[in-house]
Amino acid sequence: MLILTRKLGETIAIGDDIKITILDLGGKQLRIGIEAPRNVAVHRGEIYRIIQEQNVQAAANDIQLPDVWERLTGK
Amino acid sequence: MTKIKTTRFGEIEVSESDIIVMKGCILGFDYLKRYILLIQNENTPLWWLQAVDDPAIAFVVVNPRTVKPDYNPTVFDEDLEFLGIESSDDIALLSIVTVRLQPFRVTANIKAPILINAANRLGKQIVLEDPGYPIQYEVLIKKEDFSADLSPCGTDRLSLTAVPR
Repeated sequence: MLILTRKLGETIAIGDDIKITILDLGGKQLRIGIEAPRNVAVHRGEIYRIIQEQNVQAAANDIQLPDVWERLTGK
Repeated sequence: MTKIKTTRFGEIEVSESDIIVMKGCILGFDYLKRYILLIQNENTPLWWLQAVDDPAIAFVVVNPRTVKPDYNPTVFDEDLEFLGIESSDDIALLSIVTVRLQPFRVTANIKAPILINAANRLGKQIVLEDPGYPIQYEVLIKKEDFSADLSPCGTDRLSLTAVPR
């Protein structure tokens, strides 16, 4: 892992198109600005773990779909 | 035709050309690449996405526009290119549904839908940036509101295999 020390307002460039700026420092939080092309996905790191957990919960179903549909639609 | 084993429906016969291959993964299920779409009751918009290689794994899925009619996400170019999608007509989206029985609550993941290239049936779970699309979107459907005319989000291009109720 490349480790860099940056000051407030300084930037990091990744390739030609991606720029990361340190916007604010306070307590244990750091605000970061990310400029990237529209076709590059940028997400908080934990989003993949949360989606994975939701998938696992969704797969652990022991249901009858027609019954679920009837309960959903209030029949 | 090929036979696949399922814990819910027993052995079923499916057409190999209907198999959806996850070129990217369903997060947490990287080891399961092949799926088949099953419909248990023709009058419901809820389908099963059954893993071909694990009889016990099946997700409930829905056309996201059934639960959110104005759903119109921006799909990243890199995801389109990854699946070889050249025309927007070939974009099909499915949301994974979580059903909890006690208490009864149904949510659809409209933040991370499964994107499928309807032309070659390659798929991937994608993550959208749009903040208005949550991982747990409440599914509230009134039967009178549900109509087959809903914009299908490309799901009309996918083949469904019928299984008994």
